[in-house]
Amino acid sequence: MFYAPKNALFRRVSRRKFLELGGGVATALGVGSIAVGLNSTIFRSPVQAQSSDAAKWKQYDGSKLVFMSENTPPSFAIRDNLQAFYDLTGIEVEILTDDLPVVQQKVGIDLRGGNADFHLNYVQDKPIGSPFADFYADLTQYTGDDTLPQDPEGYGDDAWFENFLTACGVYYEPGRIVAFPYDCAVACTFYRQDLFEQLSKDFEAEYGYRMEFTDDTTWQNVQDFAAFFKKVREGGRDDIPYGYGQHQGSFAWTTQLDIQRMLFANGQWTEFDVDDKLGAKEPGPTKWGDEQSVLIMQKYKDQADVSHPDNLANGTLELNTVYQAGDIAMQVQYHEFAASIEDENTSRAAGGKTAYAACPKGDPEWIVGDGQAVNGCNCGIGGIGINAAASEDLKRAAYIFAQWAVSKDTQLHVLKELGGTPTRKSVLEVEEVAAARNRPTSMPNALTFEAVYDKGIRDPNFVLGPKIPEANEYHNIILTEVQRCVSGETSAEEACEEIRWQVDDMHDL
Amino acid sequence: MADTSSSTVELDGTADLASVMRDGRRTINYDPPHLNPVPSRQYYFYLMLPAIIILACITIYPFFWLIYMSLHKVDIGGAGDVWNDFKNWTRLTRDSKFQDGWWLLLKYSAMCMFMEVGLGVLLAVILNNSRAEKILVTIFLMPMMMAPVIAGLVWYYLYNGTFGWYHWLLESAGILGETSILGGTSTAMIGIVIVDVWQWTPLITLITLAGLKRVPRDQLEANMVDGAGPVRNFFQISLPNLYPFLLIAILLRFMDNFRFIDAILVLTGGGPANSTKILPTYLFDVSFQFFKLGRGAAIALTLLVVTIILGLILVRVFDSPASKTGQTQAGN
Amino acid sequence: MASSDVVQYRSPARRLVEILTVVFLAVYLVWTVLPLFIMFVSSFKDLLEAFKLPPTGDWAGAWVFFDFTPTVQHYVDLFADNNFGTYLANSIIASLGSALISVVFGAMAAYSLSRIEFRGKRDLFFWIISTRMAPVVAVMVPLYAIFRGAGLVGTLPGLILAYTTFNLPFAIWILKGFFDNVPYAIEEAAMCDGCTRFQAFREILPLVAPGIGAFLVLCVLFAWNDFLFASIIGSGGAKTLPVATKELVQPQNIQWGKIMAAGVVTTAPMMFLGLLIRRYLVTGLTMGAVRE
Repeated sequence: MFYAPKNALFRRVSRRKFLELGGGVATALGVGSIAVGLNSTIFRSPVQAQSSDAAKWKQYDGSKLVFMSENTPPSFAIRDNLQAFYDLTGIEVEILTDDLPVVQQKVGIDLRGGNADFHLNYVQDKPIGSPFADFYADLTQYTGDDTLPQDPEGYGDDAWFENFLTACGVYYEPGRIVAFPYDCAVACTFYRQDLFEQLSKDFEAEYGYRMEFTDDTTWQNVQDFAAFFKKVREGGRDDIPYGYGQHQGSFAWTTQLDIQRMLFANGQWTEFDVDDKLGAKEPGPTKWGDEQSVLIMQKYKDQADVSHPDNLANGTLELNTVYQAGDIAMQVQYHEFAASIEDENTSRAAGGKTAYAACPKGDPEWIVGDGQAVNGCNCGIGGIGINAAASEDLKRAAYIFAQWAVSKDTQLHVLKELGGTPTRKSVLEVEEVAAARNRPTSMPNALTFEAVYDKGIRDPNFVLGPKIPEANEYHNIILTEVQRCVSGETSAEEACEEIRWQVDDMHDL
Repeated sequence: MADTSSSTVELDGTADLASVMRDGRRTINYDPPHLNPVPSRQYYFYLMLPAIIILACITIYPFFWLIYMSLHKVDIGGAGDVWNDFKNWTRLTRDSKFQDGWWLLLKYSAMCMFMEVGLGVLLAVILNNSRAEKILVTIFLMPMMMAPVIAGLVWYYLYNGTFGWYHWLLESAGILGETSILGGTSTAMIGIVIVDVWQWTPLITLITLAGLKRVPRDQLEANMVDGAGPVRNFFQISLPNLYPFLLIAILLRFMDNFRFIDAILVLTGGGPANSTKILPTYLFDVSFQFFKLGRGAAIALTLLVVTIILGLILVRVFDSPASKTGQTQAGN
Repeated sequence: MASSDVVQYRSPARRLVEILTVVFLAVYLVWTVLPLFIMFVSSFKDLLEAFKLPPTGDWAGAWVFFDFTPTVQHYVDLFADNNFGTYLANSIIASLGSALISVVFGAMAAYSLSRIEFRGKRDLFFWIISTRMAPVVAVMVPLYAIFRGAGLVGTLPGLILAYTTFNLPFAIWILKGFFDNVPYAIEEAAMCDGCTRFQAFREILPLVAPGIGAFLVLCVLFAWNDFLFASIIGSGGAKTLPVATKELVQPQNIQWGKIMAAGVVTTAPMMFLGLLIRRYLVTGLTMGAVRE
């Protein structure tokens, strides 16, 4: 009747014994690794389908789990709110947070080693999901399990925003779900309304159209705006900032996203001939090097030329800091950053100076062939997934946390506390949230919701890829070659050709 | 353990003294059996053992593991390791980032050395025997105490084009146009070199000062009698005497450039356009970002081999007569 | 000879050199101290004040550097919100622990190495020092696997052991030099007086104590300033100050004020320790090759 916990005491004892035996020596002799949890414990009281809800929530009372997450708002807010989860379930959850690259390293080592130090993982779509998808538990085996507490809204595609579940949860084959959408960072345009108004007349006199942001504003327009700001600034107006800044620095993934937006906007170009949302383990030869990619690479370089001088040094975070400091007038940035922009204590762009719009659209002139011009928008959808190497009971306990963490109530709480980024549609229907979309607002991120949830993430604007196991190396290749081109070391053709060669070489083609 | 008969303790220099004392002791027949006055060789080996075991665990095993990994396609955990016909190695021959990595590492080290040795020696010569030597040296060596990662963060802040004071200074002085320091492919390398120079020039100064104190006075005076001025004196007498010290300094700094990439990771992460991706940072990418552990191991081994060669040279220098005289003089 | 000295001293070239020397020293002084000074001052500024910069070329505007309302909020926040108390404790325990282990085992090994000759001693010695020189990134993957196997990842004992990988060879190498300078006769005499072998070893310890103390401090310094080991093997359960400081570069905001404050907290104790063992620094940093 009493379940003998598999991980708890046994593992602890084995670890201590191991140390007593001189763990290092034993390992050095090739005894190999012994699976040791980071203090995980599991206790179970059996429940049945007809048990009360309270009993289902409480079935792992006294257990302990570890969640490895990126240092994004939901994890901070949930960490502050863990008491509520503990009261509900009796499960103790330790949330570890780190920079994405560090999370990636640790999660990767944990998963590939077949261990389960971290039972719950932050599954960021391409950086973590793509390489490690096979190591996560299939959540569909739990979603229908009536011995577990379940979310009344369910977990179907329609419970989340368009594309979200597939983006972070489904890899390479339909049907297997490895993560629930936990948070998201969707690109949209942040721009300084006050400065746009101030310079509007002069701009119109020179370019013949108004300086404003609409859904039809194209990348060409953005380039015009940026060039104009730069000209004014360099003409001696120190109060006018530069116009634009790209995502560069050393954070490879966001540079790939940055140029991908432009590529997709102009004719919906993608890098491989595969299903963009599912991805592929063997995507075949890349399309880099074709005429469209070369043209956009050139345009991207032109854009860099009219950007902030620190352009190549600024990663996503630094770019946002530059915007906060009032040193650029526009940035295409992830909507979760709105909270930091609207904070009067840290930002000079706060207090109604900033407006938000969808990502810029493609320009017909920039399209080779007959592709469609769209508001190319991409994102990072962070999922919450469960380590397949954990014991069955640990996985079930982890599932209880996962479905709680992505529930409507939790997301609403996060949004209110720290400026979260909801993934469930129902959150937006809450009256408070709907009201917060307009100034003055208590939830600054809500100011972006129109640009993001009503426009950007919907087809045909949404692009995700490439979901390939080598995503991280791919990002790095893009970063290096794009920067070579932007800094004038190589021409657009050479850069695209170099990317093609390296990517195909990476895939042994 | 208590085996006295096999003990033949050989000691540099003191061996004679020891045997004399032993003999003397024997004549007064002082030999309590339970005390083992002459320690056995085993006794010393046992004393050595803990350190050796710890070091063995953390060096020999990883080393062979690296070799194993470099010959396989590796997923951590061992299950999926597949022999791949030296592919990790052959790949290096066409991996331009690997080759650039070595080149950049050499370039970076050379630039650091050049500036650090130049500045450091100049500083030492000026400070040597000056009244302010003690206090100034103490102040100058403060940056060395700083964690490299913190130094990286502080300098990142100073270099920043938006709010960095050094950027402002350089721009206002007209040295830098409307450009960025860490964002330029040509300036980023200088940027990281300067951080290293700021932190580690004092080490060269310290070493050189120690060296200058060993320059034989009589040689200097003899040279001055021959009519040499201070400048000629420096180049004819002092500098040759300093060579072993400088060689040690350069080798140590060179190896530190292999070891420490903290500041670079913070400042540029190897960018822009890989212009600061010295080999250790590329290795970091391959192993910890791409999870190509096999390829990473191959790169790591090349790095290790070079380190070992440098280490051998260093030990040679340590043992060379020049630095020996330095040591013994210091001992007195 | 004396007369030629006087002539040189009076020559204008000599004066010029002297002036240049002073200018050079002054510039170098500023160059050394300025980053530290800016770090220190900025740690008392809030984020917007830290962003303040005069327009290019406006030298007079540089005074805005001092135009701020000092706040100790960052320091308070670090300890109140960011758990820096724990990280400080971790840093102290890990670096001190590893320093102690290294010096104890290192002294034992160094003493033995200094007292006996055997075949392959040179090779053994070289192997010991080469472990200290090995690039951390190169051996990190296998090391991580070993530590993980032993359940040491993310724990303080793990971090202590990790630091020992570079502190122990250092201690052995340096301390051997010290024991070499202690004549064997002293131990022999002690043993004649009825000491056991180990007591004899203890007998000579006071002779090398100042050196051991200094290198203990230096080991603390090396360990304290480490970043790679701490971030990969330590973080999680054993986050140290440098890692925690780096993590203040957060997605929502790069917390410059806090980063500078954390920099001060991390650096100040080490500067103090550095001054404390100033006399041994050269020896330590050159692996004993150079002495002052």
